[in-house]
Amino acid sequence: MKALENQNDERLQVAAAQEDPARFAELYENNFERVYSYVARRVENREEAQDVTADVFHQALAGLPRFEWRGLPFAAWLLGIAANVLSDRWRRFARQQEVVTDDLEQVGIEDDVEQRAMLHQLVETLPDDQRRVIIRRFVGQKSLREIATELGRSEGAIKQLQLRALQNLRERIRSNHV
Amino acid sequence: MSSISLADQLEDAIEVMIAEPDSSPPRVGLKIGELLAIAAELRLLPDPEFRAALKSELLGQHPTLPVTTHLDISQQAPQSRPARQDARLDEILPTLFEAGDRTCPVHRWNFAISAAIHAALIAVVATAGLWMTKQAQLTPHTASVLLTDIGAYALPPAIDKSGGGGGGGDRDKLAESKGSLPRFAREQMTPPAIVVRNEQPKLPAEPTVVGPPGLTVPPASQTGNPLSAILEPPSNGTGFGGGIGNGGGGGIGAGEGPGLGTGHGGGTGGGVYRVGGGVSAPRAIYDPDPEYSEEARHAKFQGAVLLWVIVGPDGRPRDIRVQRSLGMGLDEKAIEAVRRWKFEPSTKDGHPVAVQVNIEVSFRLY
Repeated sequence: MKALENQNDERLQVAAAQEDPARFAELYENNFERVYSYVARRVENREEAQDVTADVFHQALAGLPRFEWRGLPFAAWLLGIAANVLSDRWRRFARQQEVVTDDLEQVGIEDDVEQRAMLHQLVETLPDDQRRVIIRRFVGQKSLREIATELGRSEGAIKQLQLRALQNLRERIRSNHV
Repeated sequence: MSSISLADQLEDAIEVMIAEPDSSPPRVGLKIGELLAIAAELRLLPDPEFRAALKSELLGQHPTLPVTTHLDISQQAPQSRPARQDARLDEILPTLFEAGDRTCPVHRWNFAISAAIHAALIAVVATAGLWMTKQAQLTPHTASVLLTDIGAYALPPAIDKSGGGGGGGDRDKLAESKGSLPRFAREQMTPPAIVVRNEQPKLPAEPTVVGPPGLTVPPASQTGNPLSAILEPPSNGTGFGGGIGNGGGGGIGAGEGPGLGTGHGGGTGGGVYRVGGGVSAPRAIYDPDPEYSEEARHAKFQGAVLLWVIVGPDGRPRDIRVQRSLGMGLDEKAIEAVRRWKFEPSTKDGHPVAVQVNIEVSFRLY
């Protein structure tokens, strides 16, 4: 029942965005992590994943007027675009990757993509000091010492914050699964 | 295992994982393993700045995007605006089709009213030709006719009166005395007198008054005004300029001029000269048309005004009166126009004289 309500909400969001592109923000917020995770799982490189994600959303916004609701989640359409972009990209770089391109509408939302997307969203829910440490450590690729210097804390305190942040994420993943 | 050592172990494992991403994960305990798996997933955590920047970039470009829809109206979100048919119209008329950034709400009625006003103005301009033509049909045309105009020819002298008159006197304190008229002549050499002041004139001449030469009156013992009731004492009258009476100008009577009676300029019968009997008709040399009154124009009223006019010896009209009125302001317009006329004056015996004429001013709408 709730899934049906979500589907209706999403359908209204799509219709609104088709009328007013400014309303695309809601669809972007709801699907960014999903698309990014899908792409990141395949390129295993943050910069490239970000480039592809940007291409996907630009193409989605441009093609939004042509979107027709066929009962599939909007994310499936976005992931179809993402598969296409990746395919073009790999073809351009002559890399052999197995990507489904024949029936893009049938691109499913894999569980691990959903889990990774959920994990990325959970980072945003962490306490500020823990979130700052995680972002600097894994996005900025900085050492604990560098982070300690930036935040004006001791290296040991940063190490503890990193531990608590990961423990928090683990607990939240578990609670979400329950 | 203490929490500090757990943090150290975790950090060591993460350090290895980040430094050598392609190597197999380090062997760790279960607790560390779960956290390390989460940390491994976080290696590709998107940059929050990229996320925000991409969103701004996407929303910043939407005004230029073509927007059409294949959805039914029933599928539209409650807060969505009405579907637009053509994105190009958005660019041409953004205030009507609600495109672009706005600080105030769009009122399409304003556009409709503006369009209607412009259409009306264009229609007025486009049909102005027809419009002006109809107005032209109502343009007043006026014509003025000098009814007494008999051309440049002066009639031959008449034997009876043709109007006019005269008067005189020598400023005596007594009114003129009764007597007979002197002889009528075309020209006057010497004005008549009852009391002769100059008994020894250097060039004696018979006293006469100007009038039809064939006109005779019964003779009497002495010259005087036959209409006077005073017999004695003899007096030339209280007038001036010679002659007899209380007028002026060498004639007899109360008028002005060398004639007889109450008129002007010679002759008998009173009043001014009329055309005929040696009096030529005046000729209009400047006769602007009168204007049509607004009232008569709106009522499409037509007709003619007959004016009674004296044309003086100076050629200017005076004493203008309406003999046949038309109304609706046309009488005043006719008088106003004729007052500006200029005539070549009537003449009698080669001298300009005042003459009375009738002028008909016609007002017509074509």
